[in-house]
Amino acid sequence: MQSAKPFHPNGKSAVMFLSRLCKDARYFQILFQSIFLVYGILYLHWANEDWLYSIYFITSLITQFICELAFGKKDIPVWQRYKKGIPSVLISSFGLSLLLKTNLVWVAIMAAVVSIVSKYIIRINGKHIFNPSALGIVVAVFFTGNAWISPGQWGSGAVILFGVLSLGFVVTTRVQKLDVSLAFLGTFAALLFARQIIYLGWPMDHFIQSVSTGSLLLFSFFMITDPKTTPNHMGVRIVWSAAIAAVAFYLTAFKFINGAPILVLVLAQPLVPLLDKFFKAKNFEWVPSKKYTVQEKKFLQTVYSRFSM
Amino acid sequence: MKKKILIIGGLIAVSPLLFSFCGFYVSKADGTLKNKTSQVILVRDGNKNVITMYNDFKGDTKDFAMVVPVPVVLRKNDIKVVDQSIFQKLNDYSAPRLVEYWDQNPCSEYKNLDKALSGKVSGVQLNEVTVSSGYGIKRSSVKIEAKYLVGEYDILILSAKESSGLKNWLNENGYKIPANAAEVLDPYIKSNLKFFVVKVNEKEKQKLNNNFLRPIQISFNSPKFMLPIRLGMANADGDQDLIVYAFTRKGRIECTNYRNVDIASNKNIPLFVQKNFGAFYGNLFTHQWTNEDKSVAFLEYAWNVTPVNPMKCDPCVGNPPTEQDLVQSGVWWLNGKDWNDYSDIDNDEPDDGNRNVHFTRLHFRYNRKSFAQDLMFQVTPNTENFQARYIITHPATGSFNCDAGRKYLVDLKQRRKKELVQLTELTGTNINNWQDDATAKNDELVNTEVQYATLLPIVKEDMINKSEMPVGIILLSGAILAGAGFMKWKGLI
Repeated sequence: MQSAKPFHPNGKSAVMFLSRLCKDARYFQILFQSIFLVYGILYLHWANEDWLYSIYFITSLITQFICELAFGKKDIPVWQRYKKGIPSVLISSFGLSLLLKTNLVWVAIMAAVVSIVSKYIIRINGKHIFNPSALGIVVAVFFTGNAWISPGQWGSGAVILFGVLSLGFVVTTRVQKLDVSLAFLGTFAALLFARQIIYLGWPMDHFIQSVSTGSLLLFSFFMITDPKTTPNHMGVRIVWSAAIAAVAFYLTAFKFINGAPILVLVLAQPLVPLLDKFFKAKNFEWVPSKKYTVQEKKFLQTVYSRFSM
Repeated sequence: MKKKILIIGGLIAVSPLLFSFCGFYVSKADGTLKNKTSQVILVRDGNKNVITMYNDFKGDTKDFAMVVPVPVVLRKNDIKVVDQSIFQKLNDYSAPRLVEYWDQNPCSEYKNLDKALSGKVSGVQLNEVTVSSGYGIKRSSVKIEAKYLVGEYDILILSAKESSGLKNWLNENGYKIPANAAEVLDPYIKSNLKFFVVKVNEKEKQKLNNNFLRPIQISFNSPKFMLPIRLGMANADGDQDLIVYAFTRKGRIECTNYRNVDIASNKNIPLFVQKNFGAFYGNLFTHQWTNEDKSVAFLEYAWNVTPVNPMKCDPCVGNPPTEQDLVQSGVWWLNGKDWNDYSDIDNDEPDDGNRNVHFTRLHFRYNRKSFAQDLMFQVTPNTENFQARYIITHPATGSFNCDAGRKYLVDLKQRRKKELVQLTELTGTNINNWQDDATAKNDELVNTEVQYATLLPIVKEDMINKSEMPVGIILLSGAILAGAGFMKWKGLI
């Protein structure tokens, strides 16, 4: 059977690129987040000034380097360690850019520093506890009082874009942690439906507007899914995110707190190490260390042979 | 001339206002009720709210009645009538503005003088449109929580267990309410809202000896920061305009369940727009509203109006609100410790004695289809100033027989072409619509070749030849470039 091209895992080609991309979901996340940001700036005319985004990115990159110098493992050259961590830094900077607004330079710098430093300082069992950008946002919004989240900034026209891209994200990353997104979104939407449609009796479009905000989708597909800060055990993970949804729903519907999901997520994350202790499961790794199985190789071969034609 | 009328006609036709913002006017007779664009003042700090509703009902006051959903049972002290002029003042002060600049003749002696800024500005007048009422049905069962006489108004606070009860009560008491109001009354009743029902007390009204109804101001504590617009849409198909003037201690307010968009501002537009600025802004608003998919809150003004802040606008259209105006609008923290309900002290943020006042003006144009939910707001710490400002520039006069003068004419020609393009882009109108304005006898004393009338056909030609690059392509190429750069950096290509 020599008809299909042989599979070269180390070949310098599109095959190589795709296989790396598929193995590390972070590249996709960066790609999607950058599309969201470009869409927000160009199409939705976000009124932020560009300095804000620059501050998030520059501060995060610098802080990461300093943290690597200070806290990193000393056996690997610092530059290599730094390079390895850059995708995560970009993801958290995008997270801040997409959600956090402020007029003040120091608040922006502080949010970026808090998110990066928290990864190095607040850790248990080799896992950091807080989702970096969620923590940065919560500290900036709820503690300084000088920053805010604009839940309405996506409008409802963004839903299709989000739907397609999020689905693409999920599919391309081979359904990693989709359980978290679905448990959160499902619970949140079900509770909203029960309250708005069944109990209060609003018409359907009232409910649809509530669940189709870009902020909610961004949170459920790109923030709560962070595998490093979710419980390892699948069942526990589902219950955990459903519980976050329930509390966030309560705070949104009855206490009128904006950005409640992010706040609840940050408050729930310290529970993760505890849950992991009681419910043992394999730790998550961004790039799987295992070799491909025969079936997987076959699958990749057929997929990639089309791209390399 | 015909084309110009069409433009103005279009402006009025797109904003037929049928009911007020929150609550609906109900009528006893079939008389025609007249109303303008709804206006409301919101003051918010912590959980404390003051809402002032403009009332420019024009029919027979015997027929006036208003229903507003409120979160709590208001006490008599919480209800006031205030001076009507406050709305005019706030509108004049915060309305979109046209500013004029004058070019200096580069050949004259005063070369070093910069373009002079004039204080002459004009605001946009709000459109006047008509209100009509609906029809109702019968029966009863409703609780009257409170009953007050405030100023010229008889006020009832009702609570209901079911919408039919409320509907029937209103009908039995002689009010016609929209037939399909029940669909929104139900969710309000279940959300535990009370209903603030207002009608005019004829005796008190006669004592006042004036022919208008004063605005009603209510104060209450509630974590909800919202405006119930859905009730006002119960029987309305058309688009309704609502202007919100908000005052907070911290910064701008923004809408949390609709997109917030800054209205296009700081644009250079042709000189002739001056004659018809109201129509220009109306077109601009309609165009941007359509382009932004309608479900948006437009920011028209945001400024720090703290009494001690010396710069209240740049330039001012109307006088900035004085401390007295602000107190009148309900900004209680300027008036000593005047808040009258500290019952929910647990939720009360400590009053730090801060006397800052931030003013936000939001403009909504809503209809049932684009606005499925009531307007929810939040106070943000955003203290950035914003104003809707459009610039016209008068050309220099005299002879231009020097090098600088000839260069000036070339620049002027370019600038005016840009202004014409800007005008069509901002208003979404065809350039032909402006032909009459451009060719009308202008009071400009410039060479024929730089007159708008001469430039208009050239711009028209240019616009036909120019193919526009759609946003989608820019977006896509941006994403591809970013992706490519990223791959390059990762050493993948």
